[in-house]
Amino acid sequence: MASLPGKNLAQELIAASRDESRRTPMEAVIKAASAGSLSDDALFRLVGRLWTLERMLYYVYGGWGQGLEMNDFPPAVKYLFSRQILDDSTHEMLYLDALLRRRWIASQKDAFRHPYGTFQVNSALAYYVFSLRNLATYPHTIRIAALNLGPKIVELEWMTALADALPDADLRAVFASQAVENRSHVLMGRRIVEEFVEKPVEADLCRWACTTARGDYQRFLRELASVVLGQAAPVEAPTAAADAAE
Amino acid sequence: MPTLKVDHERCTECRMCYVVCRELDLNAVYVALEPLHRIEIDPETCLYPGCTACLMYCPAEASIVEAETGRSVVPPPPELWRRRGARLPEV
Repeated sequence: MASLPGKNLAQELIAASRDESRRTPMEAVIKAASAGSLSDDALFRLVGRLWTLERMLYYVYGGWGQGLEMNDFPPAVKYLFSRQILDDSTHEMLYLDALLRRRWIASQKDAFRHPYGTFQVNSALAYYVFSLRNLATYPHTIRIAALNLGPKIVELEWMTALADALPDADLRAVFASQAVENRSHVLMGRRIVEEFVEKPVEADLCRWACTTARGDYQRFLRELASVVLGQAAPVEAPTAAADAAE
Repeated sequence: MPTLKVDHERCTECRMCYVVCRELDLNAVYVALEPLHRIEIDPETCLYPGCTACLMYCPAEASIVEAETGRSVVPPPPELWRRRGARLPEV
């Protein structure tokens, strides 16, 4: 294992992300959850916005998949990528199930139309999604380093803390159970960086991409925490009626 | 009324049943929190035999069964097609 070329880089990226993971805007949400002061609507906003992010990862991975050419990497790397798409799909399905189970929405179509579930381009969520999608033009190792050893580590830590803090057993299970997929993402990222990042220029690109993705994710978390805590209005997409009125 | 359940020895977790059930706004197929993230069918919500959409999309033979009898309904037996008034597929 010591001979793996990217071993030290993987450790460096993991350490940097862990260092940031409990210094995110989500700490205020965790504190409010712990105090039992998150209203039903605040929890709806939380799950709704996280669902919106997760469904946009299909768009991100669609772009990444196009850049994964035959014979670029061994089949194991492609298998891990397909596994990652499936795991992120699980996150998305869990959030949608929670929205339906708690009757916050009546149907999947309602989730797309509701202000808490709409995708608005003028938002930190969109900034983060487009930033990830833009990594489609980079080698797969670099974008996996950026996401799996960046935001995914931060997410694993704050989500585990949030699950511990939530008094609602059902929502606690929704968040706690996702640790399995998030941990898997981190381990996949570590393995790919350890094994396939060899050149110094690639290592520098991994550092840059990881720092950028983490920064963009923190911006999204700032927006998410503000929306959940009622400090900012939910992001509303323009409706057809509003378009017609203009 | 017979109800459906997933046979986890056969199911490939491809999730086509989940996708089609969501598209129809029936929402009977869900991701179980325990056992961890397995696909399950809620018999209270499922309209079977009134609806057989998931059976039409499921690619894994015998992965959805009637809970009461254990009878496989993937691929859908002929009487389920006839019940819906649909034509049998030409093979």
